[in-house]
Amino acid sequence: MILSPEVLTIIILNIIFLIFGTIAFILSIRIFFNWNVESTSQKQYTLEKQSFLSATIIKYILSIKILLFIFFIFTLDKISNVLTGAMCAAGVVDATSYGIYLLLFKLINIYLFGFWLIIHNFDIKTETLKFTKLKFGLFLFIYFLFISEIVLEITMFSSIDVAKLVSCCGTLYSNTQTSYLSSIFMINSSYLLISFYSSLGFLILFYLVRNDYLYIIFNLIFLILAIITLITFFGTYIYELPTHHCPFCMLQNEYSYVGYILYLSLFVGTFYGFNIGISNILTQDNENSAYYYKMSLVFILFYTVLVSYYPISYYLKNGVFL
Amino acid sequence: MMIELKNLTKVFEVNKNNKTTALKDLNLNIKEGELLVIKGASGSGKSTVLSLIASLSKPTNGEVIVDKKRVSKLPDNFASLYRREHIGFIFQKYNLIPTLSVKENILLPLIPQNPNEIEAQKLLEKVMKKFKIEHKKDNIVKNLSGGEQQRVAIARSQVNDPKIIIADEPTANLDKELSLHFIEILRELKKTKKTIIIATHDPLFFELDFVDRIIELSNGELIR
Repeated sequence: MILSPEVLTIIILNIIFLIFGTIAFILSIRIFFNWNVESTSQKQYTLEKQSFLSATIIKYILSIKILLFIFFIFTLDKISNVLTGAMCAAGVVDATSYGIYLLLFKLINIYLFGFWLIIHNFDIKTETLKFTKLKFGLFLFIYFLFISEIVLEITMFSSIDVAKLVSCCGTLYSNTQTSYLSSIFMINSSYLLISFYSSLGFLILFYLVRNDYLYIIFNLIFLILAIITLITFFGTYIYELPTHHCPFCMLQNEYSYVGYILYLSLFVGTFYGFNIGISNILTQDNENSAYYYKMSLVFILFYTVLVSYYPISYYLKNGVFL
Repeated sequence: MMIELKNLTKVFEVNKNNKTTALKDLNLNIKEGELLVIKGASGSGKSTVLSLIASLSKPTNGEVIVDKKRVSKLPDNFASLYRREHIGFIFQKYNLIPTLSVKENILLPLIPQNPNEIEAQKLLEKVMKKFKIEHKKDNIVKNLSGGEQQRVAIARSQVNDPKIIIADEPTANLDKELSLHFIEILRELKKTKKTIIIATHDPLFFELDFVDRIIELSNGELIR
């Protein structure tokens, strides 16, 4: 097991979250099954007090967990120094068979945690605590994902064998048939780029005509295409190496930590895009939707401009594409 | 504003073996513009009734309805808003900030509303004039006499023009002359058609011609 200060920090924080999260889970069960906002009984007043306590605990745990994702990625990158063969976080992710799945799982959880925070925010803005039952119901589901993530995370760190040779990102994300991303690399990058920029065009179109549901669908399509094109095409211009497709190396100092900016703007932008749906279902408040649309497009456009800068700047400097 | 208390119970639980029932199943209706005096010995539940009407605390059971709004069910952020907009408090010990000046103390309830300076100044002048404290506006509150501090406290409770005025033992710290002066102020406030609720055991209030109703609490129950 690797016990670097960063890993210890993550483990200690996870144990704290586990304790408080379990307290909140027990209270959430009680609230979810007994909540009756119309009642003026002692039981309901007690539940209202407990819901405030429980929601506060959950809010802080989930908010910190979201921020901790960035630290988790930073930690993977940091401990790659002690693993033989690893050049960046990709080697650490590959050190266990479920590393990549943990990463994807964490990513899905981040969106879910964010959705919970949005629903909580809507709830505390209503006089009658309209969404309390929904938010605690959602937490009952999230809790199991939250626990699974913590268990997987601790298991991953404890299963990494520092003596074992791991693959570097050059091997993992290569164009060869054996790599697990090989099928993506087989797709012509022109098609991918056309799809990527078209999905952005559709997002702008659905923003202009205010078609919420199509915007959300294209938001998801944009997210997937953005990640694929980042790995297959744009990343190569960040590294200025046609064969280097690593999604992690760009998080390093050597590339001015640009990966953090790219991933953050992409995730925040698409998160706001999904929130349009939540806002529509729960509040039908046009003001909220307008805000989410604006934020979503600002971050997505920022991502697109930044990621497009690399091939354009390469072409302007060298007169050719890679 | 019409106030309804329905089956209101409040139990203070120090620990599992030490519970104090401050109010037992209280039912009470207070009409708009009514001046109600709640009398009773110490510990009878007078202050608890006031704090529940002001949504400063939640009941153990039952509800408080103000103008058809169930204020006892309001979440804390909405309860603060309700207090800010509808309730003026006059406390026994004034609860002024001793190191601030008279005008700063009076302006305090307006801060969350963030009014513009001219508007705030107008409201300030109006209440200072009404409660005859404008000549002391720049004085630090701790240097004022008890009566003057009382007037500052009343001016502060009125600066946001609340519809309900709640006074908890307002004359407990005053001598007879100042108490009579406070009663004159109260007579003026009554003319403004505001709902006024006073919790007191001062006999001065029991014979006043402008008081609409006097009720008595004992051990958390309405006895008269």
